[in-house]
Amino acid sequence: MLSLSHRFVSDSLFWITRKKWLIISFFVSILLFYLPSPEGLTSEGHRTLIIVLTTLILIISESIPLPAVAILILIMEVILGVDTPDGVASSFMSDAVFFIMGSLMLAISIVHQGLDKRLAIGIINITGNKTWRIVLGFVAVSAILASFIGEHTVAAMMLPVALSLIRNAGLKTDKATNLSTLLLFSIAYGCAIGSVGTPSGGGRNVIMIGYLSEFGLGDISYLKWMKYAYPMLLIEIPIAALILWFTFTPREKIMDSAVRKLKVSVAKTGKLTGDQMMAIVVFFLVFLGWVFLSPFIGLGIVALTGVFLYLTFGLIEWKEIAHNTNWGVILLFGAAISLGIHMKETGAALWVAEKALGFLEILFQDIGMVRWFFSVVLSGILTNLLSNAATVAVLGPIILDMGGDPIILGIATTIASAFAYLTVVASPTCMIIHSTGLVTSKDYLKAGWKLFLMSIVLLFLVSFFYWPLLK
Amino acid sequence: MKILIAVSSQEYSGPTLSVGMKVARAFKADVTIAYVGEKISEFSTKVVGMAQERMESWDFDRPGVDVLEWAFEYLAEKEFIERTDIEAGFPKNTLVHTGGNRLEVYLKGTICEDVNLILRNGEIIPELRDEVKNHGYDVTIIGGSKKRNMAHDLVQYIDSSIFVVKNFQSDKNYSLLLSVNDAPNTRKAVKYGIRVAQAFDLNVTALTVSDTSLFREGYKSSSKWASKLLRRCGINHHIKFEEGKFHKTVVLLAGDDHIIVMGASTKSPLSKFFKGSKPLKVMNACQGPILIVKS
Repeated sequence: MLSLSHRFVSDSLFWITRKKWLIISFFVSILLFYLPSPEGLTSEGHRTLIIVLTTLILIISESIPLPAVAILILIMEVILGVDTPDGVASSFMSDAVFFIMGSLMLAISIVHQGLDKRLAIGIINITGNKTWRIVLGFVAVSAILASFIGEHTVAAMMLPVALSLIRNAGLKTDKATNLSTLLLFSIAYGCAIGSVGTPSGGGRNVIMIGYLSEFGLGDISYLKWMKYAYPMLLIEIPIAALILWFTFTPREKIMDSAVRKLKVSVAKTGKLTGDQMMAIVVFFLVFLGWVFLSPFIGLGIVALTGVFLYLTFGLIEWKEIAHNTNWGVILLFGAAISLGIHMKETGAALWVAEKALGFLEILFQDIGMVRWFFSVVLSGILTNLLSNAATVAVLGPIILDMGGDPIILGIATTIASAFAYLTVVASPTCMIIHSTGLVTSKDYLKAGWKLFLMSIVLLFLVSFFYWPLLK
Repeated sequence: MKILIAVSSQEYSGPTLSVGMKVARAFKADVTIAYVGEKISEFSTKVVGMAQERMESWDFDRPGVDVLEWAFEYLAEKEFIERTDIEAGFPKNTLVHTGGNRLEVYLKGTICEDVNLILRNGEIIPELRDEVKNHGYDVTIIGGSKKRNMAHDLVQYIDSSIFVVKNFQSDKNYSLLLSVNDAPNTRKAVKYGIRVAQAFDLNVTALTVSDTSLFREGYKSSSKWASKLLRRCGINHHIKFEEGKFHKTVVLLAGDDHIIVMGASTKSPLSKFFKGSKPLKVMNACQGPILIVKS
């Protein structure tokens, strides 16, 4: 009996230590709930901000599973009287969530085709055997592909290509060298840079487009987004490659034998199969759909149509999609968007925006410029702690309520959410390269801060000198 | 009997594996060698899994397999596994998901009845706790760690005896320091200590420490019982009674050339959590390997 009670106490203590942030967030929210609503904030807005704070604590601490955070958001929205159950349900599902779901499924379908070997040979044929050209090629190909098919897909396909080159260069794939670090970061940062190029580059782009449209601030088509974001992507590619090269300069300046061995091993796989051809054609159709049909049927429905075609043509089995789709992330983004919408509707976003502006006005004269810096830097920092889509989902309504040009602020904030260069948890692409054991947390900081600063300067120039020309 | 050996890398885990296998041999125990890889953020689990599948199609191992392969080769070299298994090489293809973050390679053993190799991902303490809870290990063997609270978490949350192989050097002549008193776990600790002493052919010091110069009757009778058992098992030993603070005395006498064996505290988990315990203080302060035996 005594042993049983000891075990129970021990289990409880373990649970408490593992879930301390859940307990803290619970008590903080209870405390805030009983505090009077601040002046200028509705009681619904007050309660919405309690949910936002709880969500941020739980996502950053990862003390409970992500799907549990998503479910908690929905429960709290109803229980705290922010909206009715039906209202919460309708705000939970949107075209942006369809898009996130569809693009995750498309990613699985594309990776499943084994196109990485074709990709490898394509890159090598373009770059040749000089290491600096391979690095530039990796950054460029990762960025350009990621801008259309999403960063995770590209990172998953590029990773074995980089590891293969490292192995063929006679280096161990379980010991970090400058060459391995350089190639892996070329992929991760290339993908991050590319993910803002088009709406389909990342779910957060679609979330922001959704907010702009939902709040009546402007409609942005696929091509219009590209006009805003793509030039920055193209400028960033060579600069990122240079920064990476000088941060992790490798001893191996030429990778002649590595490239030759890679060509030989890839040549053994034979010609492009019918399924692979079909997979490319379907994706091309999806791309055309995003460009021409999305204003009418939405980006999400186009992505889901692509998934439908992959399944119908037997290019992938549902079992595979169901197993590899991160349903928890879909639930969380749905809930985060619902929270964002309620922030707007309850006036919570406006209240936070006014408070932030009021504070900034005390410190600075030119509020237009400061507003931009505030949005971009906050988005860049949060994305390195949280997740880029969650950052945009929560921050979006606040930024859009800060005044100024909502399109410039909205797109700048979304682009800044791609500056996930500083931490391992910043984005799945960072985690993918980290999972090889060849890059450490310090490596992210080593190159990341330079890219972070460079990206902010570049975004500033683009926002203030190029985007106004597009009006 | 089942023993869990946690390894981290080829560089640091050699002594842990070596000591662990010797102990397993002494206990004729089933052994599981576990590698716990870094935690993957929940946002990324699926995409990292997808990337690893692609890596496997290019004949790259998933992270951690190299450590298991090294462990396999170590076991082969020391003849802990069958010759036929050794000739066939490390059976990567028998890596199977056995639920959650757990992958397993099953190897039939000879000297030990069974040897398993497993791969997990996550935070070390929750993963080891989960492994011990679901697979019922008697002893968990792990290398020393500089991580804050590691000793506390091991003693507090892992529901098995804990052997921390701290600063072990295979070329050093060790003795065994056996802490004997009238606490309930002492008898089991003495029995475990005898097995360890036999495995490493060690001399034993059975140490009884009292805060005062008066040693209570329970201490004396326990010491007598331990001495009798050690003698029966043919182990060179001597009995020592010392006055002083328990953990300071044990740590001082153990130095860096003793393997300490002692029973776990039977205080309530709450009291251990807030006030700590004697074994925990010894574990934090000692300079050599330490085995804390739980009932």
